[in-house]
Amino acid sequence: MPTRLRVAALLAALVFPATTYGADPAPEPKPVKDPADTIAAMIDRHLAKDWEARGLIPAELTDDAEFVRRVYLDILGRAPKASESRAFIDDKDPNKRAKLIDHLVKMPGHANYFAAVTRAAWLPQTTTNFQLAQFGYQFEVWLRTQFRENTPADVMIKRLLTVKVTVNNQNPMFRFVQGDPTDPDGQRLASFYQANEGRPENMGASVSRLFVGVKLECAQCHDHPHAPYTKAQFWQFAAFFAELNPLTGPRPGFVGPLQPQSDRNTIGIPGTDQKVTATFFDGKNPDWRPDRSPRLELADWLVSKDNPYFAKNMANRIWAHFFGIGILDPVDEPGENNQPSHPELMNDLGKVFAENGFDQRLMIRALARTKAYQLTSKMTHPGQADPRRFAKMSLKGLTPTQLFDSLVAATGFREPAFMRNQQNFGFVQPNNPRSTFLARFASNERPTEANTTILQALMLMNGQFIGDQTDLSKSEILASIADYPGWDTKQKVTALFLTTFSRNPTPEELEKFSSYVDRGGAKGNDKKQALADVFWVLLNSPEFLFNH
Amino acid sequence: MSRSFTLDRRHLLRVGAVSTAVSMSGWMGKLAQAAEEKKVKPKRSCILLWMNGGPSTIDLWDLKVGHENGGPYKEIEAAPDLKIGEHLPKLAKHGKQIAVLRGMSTKEGDHARGTYLMRTGQLPGFAGIQYPSIGSLISKELGDPKAELPNFISIAPQRFFAQEAFGPGFLGPVHAPLIVGDNQFNNGQGQNIDTILKVADLDKPKAIDDMTHTARLEMLREMQEAFAADRPGMVSKSHTAAYDRAIRLMQSDGGKVFDLTTEKNEVRDKYGRNLFGQGCLLARRLVEKGVSFIEVTLGNWDTHGNNFELVKGLCGTLDTAWAALMDDLKDRGLLDTTTIVWMGEFGRTPKINQGRGRDHFPNAWSTVIAGGGIKGGQAVGKTSKDGTTVEERKTTTADFLATVCLAQGIDPEKTNMSNVNRPIPIVDRGAKPVTEVLQ
Repeated sequence: MPTRLRVAALLAALVFPATTYGADPAPEPKPVKDPADTIAAMIDRHLAKDWEARGLIPAELTDDAEFVRRVYLDILGRAPKASESRAFIDDKDPNKRAKLIDHLVKMPGHANYFAAVTRAAWLPQTTTNFQLAQFGYQFEVWLRTQFRENTPADVMIKRLLTVKVTVNNQNPMFRFVQGDPTDPDGQRLASFYQANEGRPENMGASVSRLFVGVKLECAQCHDHPHAPYTKAQFWQFAAFFAELNPLTGPRPGFVGPLQPQSDRNTIGIPGTDQKVTATFFDGKNPDWRPDRSPRLELADWLVSKDNPYFAKNMANRIWAHFFGIGILDPVDEPGENNQPSHPELMNDLGKVFAENGFDQRLMIRALARTKAYQLTSKMTHPGQADPRRFAKMSLKGLTPTQLFDSLVAATGFREPAFMRNQQNFGFVQPNNPRSTFLARFASNERPTEANTTILQALMLMNGQFIGDQTDLSKSEILASIADYPGWDTKQKVTALFLTTFSRNPTPEELEKFSSYVDRGGAKGNDKKQALADVFWVLLNSPEFLFNH
Repeated sequence: MSRSFTLDRRHLLRVGAVSTAVSMSGWMGKLAQAAEEKKVKPKRSCILLWMNGGPSTIDLWDLKVGHENGGPYKEIEAAPDLKIGEHLPKLAKHGKQIAVLRGMSTKEGDHARGTYLMRTGQLPGFAGIQYPSIGSLISKELGDPKAELPNFISIAPQRFFAQEAFGPGFLGPVHAPLIVGDNQFNNGQGQNIDTILKVADLDKPKAIDDMTHTARLEMLREMQEAFAADRPGMVSKSHTAAYDRAIRLMQSDGGKVFDLTTEKNEVRDKYGRNLFGQGCLLARRLVEKGVSFIEVTLGNWDTHGNNFELVKGLCGTLDTAWAALMDDLKDRGLLDTTTIVWMGEFGRTPKINQGRGRDHFPNAWSTVIAGGGIKGGQAVGKTSKDGTTVEERKTTTADFLATVCLAQGIDPEKTNMSNVNRPIPIVDRGAKPVTEVLQ
């Protein structure tokens, strides 16, 4: 009995979509123009101008099916369930795309997904070094709250850079960073410093790369070979975090001739006798005052509206998330060899981001509304091949989490919460499919250059998880589709397409797969097994395995 | 032309040694030429024996007999000019093929950082350049991209200290290792080693018969082709290529090399019936199949306490497997073309701690190179009487890795294009290879 009930419930969800994003009954008064539309129009203007100048014909707009899958993957981190795609495709509202975007950014899954993506970008070492993994998890908890509450980027980063931390330097191999126990977020924020080993040079390198958008660390040991950054400049930047080092001089507040910072703002360059003082990239020094720490000075400089780096860099990172490649890409290595593809667009993007109070959700809503984002990934003209012209959507690889969450959505796998939340600290739990997928699909490639490995292909073809989900006796969605009373083969095949690809099959596909099922599959005697074969094929197809 | 060039710029650049100044046609021509050259070179392989946890090299390769730091072990003769620890008696018989580098002095004494340094030649810089592991770098140079088996196979790696140090970094997944026996920590104890050492998911699900399997693959192929036709480019191409290679591995003889049950029992016994021993046997089989780079991991070297008991046990496992590997390679005429590298992330403190253990010590320790390209029967470099400092031939990580490259005829200064669009040499320029050990 329970099984049958479960099947009925699954099917009800499949056939009668319950989701009603933004279907508020009361019509709202005519709103003022949404700034997201203004920004989207600005972006599309810039791109259209570039296409025209190059004689480039952009790809067509996506149909609803391609759009709904893409926007779920990019905002929520998973493909839509069949019911969700169907609801969207069937919706007659001409404004339904904007409505869906606005709905998705408010879902808790969005904050969780962006926290995970941000943590992976900001603290990549916590995904590969098991000694640091726990600090990544702690920091991610803080990020989740920020995305849920849509904390402006400048507020977020200033908070991170000025949080009170104490460093225990007793063990030269491993510094312990402690947060302020009276600050409810103290320990979570301190974990960012801990993941950077509590070292000024690591913090300087991270902050410069992430928030300024300039990768300085090559200059740690020698002058940057291909960019105008010197070793001294690196250490001058690291010196903003000098207070993480043990103090050598008199502490601020020490009785005696008071220097504004004591040595909280100076750092020795290893292997030399040279000491440098914290200095901004433009060569200026803050007006040092005893009551303002070097980190506070740095934070204020960084997020000030006049800072030429911060807004552009942060906006470009959001751009890269949605388009798979930044306007400047790599996003953190500007230089002679790496110029923005659209310099004016990049400037304007930074400008509107700053003008709108560094509102990240607004940027997300704006980018997803652009025509450029809503172009199909199908190439219709060879000129569209260059991803940096944004004349069609680039094919993007799925992150391991996107892939597994999409598999959960497509197969109806009922993942126990403990499996979902299990933190593996670098160790794979063999009986937890999420854990095995995350390990096998880990990659540090940029999404537009995602490569598939042999072991990944083998896992998808022969592995236990997809084996179970395409096995009629163990599967969830497959079994309910196969047994659904009153459906003919074509309806069943259509349901499989909808749950894996978020679209209906083309007439040719419908014909081909239905006839395979109707003739009883390869052996000619088992229609249900044949339906399982179709599901297996769809789950292994690139259309399922990529964000397109 | 220029547009399609931009499309795959990074991937094209990654393909081989490049100079950004050379014109497109110029270096495309060079690539073709390089590919031609590769064909005529004799097939070379490299086996890395990776000692996870930091092996106590003072008890294996550079004993301090009579000194208080020396501990209870004695020395035995491996060659007229080479004495090694008494718990490696079988390997000592191959002393003439073995060169010990006693001047190792490296910069990292933390597991994660040391692992990264020794395996990539680079200090870990957070989120900077994604440096490839030495296995990816070497297999890219030695391997045939069209081979049935992947060119880099990693056996029972223990990647938890620093996963990045085991990956292909900016060389991309084409140069990623095929891993067997992932996540094993106790040398296979209490487990079915034959199963562990097989490629994961290499067999199709049992319930699926051959006809159904073939039908599935055909339908899948049509879906892949339709998708790639609409969306040409590296991503969809790589997807199809990976499936092709996976299917080839499933269907060809190549996959059978992982089935150790086809070896005679006495051969299997000779290597030791444990994960490392059988891993070394698999490594020999892979060399026979022409695989370029194979690594086999032996863990549990982190002997902070009870060092001498533990090291004796580990030596037993190591000695048996490594000596058998040398025997078999020699018998098959493969030892001249197979370089065997032995190392961990660092050595251990000469001073014995209160728990009869030794702690992390990167300042003065040893690594070993043997076999192909190596002038054996010698130790190069010298540590002080107490073992705490290097007195002769100080060898950095880069010096060592450059030596490993040269032993196999690879130019360590050859560059690959990195993820930051800059050419990066295999080993940092300015390394001073230990030429004394090169043939």
